[in-house]
Amino acid sequence: MKRAVRLSPERQSPMLGSMQRASDPTDLLQDALNESAGGFVELRWHKKTTRGLSVEKGRVDTATASEHSGVGVRVLESGTFGFASTDRLEKGAILRAIGEARTAARASARARRERVPDLPRVALARGRFDAPGVDATLARPIEAALEMLLEVERGARASSSRVTSASTGYAEIYEEKGIVTSDGAKVWTRTVRPEFRVIAVAASGGEMQRGAEAVGVTGGWECLFDGRSANELGEKAAKQAVDLLDAGYPEGGRTRVLLSPALVGLLTHEAVGHTVEADFVASGSCAAGRLGTRVASDLVTLCDSGASEYHAGAGGTMAVDDEGVLAGRTTVIENGFLRSYLHDRESAARSGVAPTGNARAWEYDDEPLIRMRNTYIAPGTSTLEEMIAGVSDGYLLDGASNGQADANGEFMFGTREAYRIVNGKKGPLMRGVNISGSAFDVLQTVDAVGRDFRWDLGSGHCGKGQPAKVDAGGPWLSCEVVLGGRKS
Amino acid sequence: MSGTALGRAAVKDGATTREHEDRLLSACEALVGLALRAGAHEAEAFATRAEKSSASFEKGDLKLAHVDEGSSIGLRVFRDARLGFSATNQFDLESLEQVARNAVALATASPADPANRLPDVQRLEMLAPLVHPGLARLGIEEAVDYGHALVTRAQKHDARISVDGANSSVSRVAQAIHTSRGVRATESDAMVSLSISGMAIQGTDVGGFHYASDAVRDPARIEASLAALVDDFAGTAVGNLGAESARGSYQGLVLFSPDALLDLFVAPVLGAASAIAVQRGRSALGKRLGERIGAPGFSIHDRPHDVDLAGAGSFDREGQPTRDFALLEDGWLRGWLYNGYAAAVENRLSTGHARGGARSVPSLGTHAIHVAAGSGGTREAILATLGKGLLVQRFSGSVDPASGDFSGVAKSSRWVEGGRVVAPVRETLLSGNAYQLLARIVSLGSRAERVDGGARAPWALVDGVNVTAG
Repeated sequence: MKRAVRLSPERQSPMLGSMQRASDPTDLLQDALNESAGGFVELRWHKKTTRGLSVEKGRVDTATASEHSGVGVRVLESGTFGFASTDRLEKGAILRAIGEARTAARASARARRERVPDLPRVALARGRFDAPGVDATLARPIEAALEMLLEVERGARASSSRVTSASTGYAEIYEEKGIVTSDGAKVWTRTVRPEFRVIAVAASGGEMQRGAEAVGVTGGWECLFDGRSANELGEKAAKQAVDLLDAGYPEGGRTRVLLSPALVGLLTHEAVGHTVEADFVASGSCAAGRLGTRVASDLVTLCDSGASEYHAGAGGTMAVDDEGVLAGRTTVIENGFLRSYLHDRESAARSGVAPTGNARAWEYDDEPLIRMRNTYIAPGTSTLEEMIAGVSDGYLLDGASNGQADANGEFMFGTREAYRIVNGKKGPLMRGVNISGSAFDVLQTVDAVGRDFRWDLGSGHCGKGQPAKVDAGGPWLSCEVVLGGRKS
Repeated sequence: MSGTALGRAAVKDGATTREHEDRLLSACEALVGLALRAGAHEAEAFATRAEKSSASFEKGDLKLAHVDEGSSIGLRVFRDARLGFSATNQFDLESLEQVARNAVALATASPADPANRLPDVQRLEMLAPLVHPGLARLGIEEAVDYGHALVTRAQKHDARISVDGANSSVSRVAQAIHTSRGVRATESDAMVSLSISGMAIQGTDVGGFHYASDAVRDPARIEASLAALVDDFAGTAVGNLGAESARGSYQGLVLFSPDALLDLFVAPVLGAASAIAVQRGRSALGKRLGERIGAPGFSIHDRPHDVDLAGAGSFDREGQPTRDFALLEDGWLRGWLYNGYAAAVENRLSTGHARGGARSVPSLGTHAIHVAAGSGGTREAILATLGKGLLVQRFSGSVDPASGDFSGVAKSSRWVEGGRVVAPVRETLLSGNAYQLLARIVSLGSRAERVDGGARAPWALVDGVNVTAG
């Protein structure tokens, strides 16, 4: 039975006043930049406002609103970058930070062997870019989210006597950035990224199992629950926890699997995406020196995009990166051939190509790093039913948990649910396991690509020294991996 | 107090450690006052100031020199036992007033919980100052020097080493807390942190990725730490070259490094020992207090006064005193970890395990974990006990906190035969149940090693682990 979330208008109030103030900071940044000495200077004002709620067993554990704002300053001096920051949006403080960044660059220049080349001349962003959903999300009272969390958590706990505990969480990151560079960027962007998660724990006979569902988007509330309502996600998490109590373990070994869009997202992000980040490539990742060569089956086309391709709301959507470069779409693998790496301005200059808009910083006092945005495998032509029918002995895997990959392309990621497939027939639920493989080897084994596309990695963060909101997804995919089963 | 006066808490002006602490404490006192005036019944303000100089290296060359300083202040309020929290890095009066209004508004919207109350004052036994005078003088030039030394030593170790990233930083942190119940404390800390990551490359063979890190407070120990760190990293990275599949899948003995032992077996126990997890029915160990859940000799303590470890400190995130805590002794489960909230649920005292920074509600966790050494001797002696099987240096995977089921990849692993390492191994998956395997720890090394500057643990030989060759 579906439950509707009830809102109580009389309890809603306009809240958290400073969070809704927004004014273009770029003129002030430009003034400061004009007064600084010559050379390359990049100023990035970044205000990050977060609202977060979490509920467990009817109790509110977190009800927070926080703001973190300031100006990050990067200069290119003596052939190297220096970075400093100030928490004040004032001309004097920004000029002092520019001075500190120059001092840092000069102090470190002796340790730099290879000087940073002139940054590539590109059309840098100017103007204002607002992602969808900003105003509507900011206007929504936090009480609405709190009522939803309490109701979904209560519902998950009530769904079965075997559910012993449930928790729900809502987080919303609102960001304003003003970026001004000495070579022409002058842009103000606003983005909002809400996310929702629900976890249920079921117990029986001294054993516990956990079910979890999470969604995260770039956009508004309607976008967040576009695919499934909060109550549906809660019901699914509770059912998963209960069902897993009675599920067996898959057998380990190398096997053919059908990966769900969430797991395809993990594969594209962890196993391929990181290895084509130009800084990893320079350090000798498995993608180094392989441009133009075959790295995957010809059924595989893999892209990273600042836009939300195929379906609205991808969690890593951004119009402009943190160097002021427009964030377009990069085709990384085209019909099996490696075509491009992901670049910031420095790596693009070294490689003699255009930057791809992948420079991102988590907060004002973080420097931009090469990061993914929305990474995906383009849809093919098969239905899921056709793909299941095509497997004689293997598994269908769904539900992404964590994932990691090394520079050599060896990846590991966790799955929540597994179903044995024998002679084209899907069997009962089994417990999720971790899978492993070598990225390009696995992509070479792809023999079918589904036609239905989904973004499914918009909640949580990617870590690379700094967190980043990204998304990843794709269609169902048939490939071969190593499964870490219980019995071998 | 004027906004200007508060604003100075965030200004870099060459002030002493004590002056920074005093400024943070003044800001906390002011914010608690604002919160009470805004309608809070109880209020706790926690503030931090961090000053950091760091150098990052990529592919063996300097990437960026970074100097930074900033402050944050967080406010937790209770109003009719309802929780609200707000934080900012802006210390002007207008911003702090907004923080107070936000926190009270959130509390007004939240449901009541009788355990929502602040802890009372407990007497603190302050550690000797954690900021070494020699470290207080270090800055960006030294950070660059340490990073450069990391890279050059690794490259000298073996020309096949490719340094993916190296980072060095000098950081100084001050913190202060003030609550409407009278808790009032400050402390400062300073550390040099070092890390290096990458792999060895020989022709088309890209060896498995490895990393190592450390953090030290005493400047006299930096050089030795740096040397040990690089030698561990480089030796392991070169050893990862020429990896092959494990020579067979099996269920049985696996030798885990201190790092892997902490990730795979200790971390789940710490999560399950959270009193909140127990109170809410999601701890797999919830009904096993007083039982022997681990093998004889397996002991886990939290030692927040071990100043050689990064998490050392005199008080926790709620201003409660930290102290040695026995979680597991000789395999026996001795107690749960409490922060103020969990303690209030049971009407008892906190064990000083509130964790977190100024930007979030206090959570619950440990400070400086010690896993006791055993009698298994050196790593070589335990290898002899293993005889044939897998040695795991890092675990890359997940442990389900509810069930204890784990599954993941053995990283930088080695195949052992005749009690000796015979080959590096790749694409090997491990699985099992962490809670069940605690009782199957066969042997613990005779030395507890520092892990990433934040914990101590020995090598451990564990039986019953599923190993799947790729």
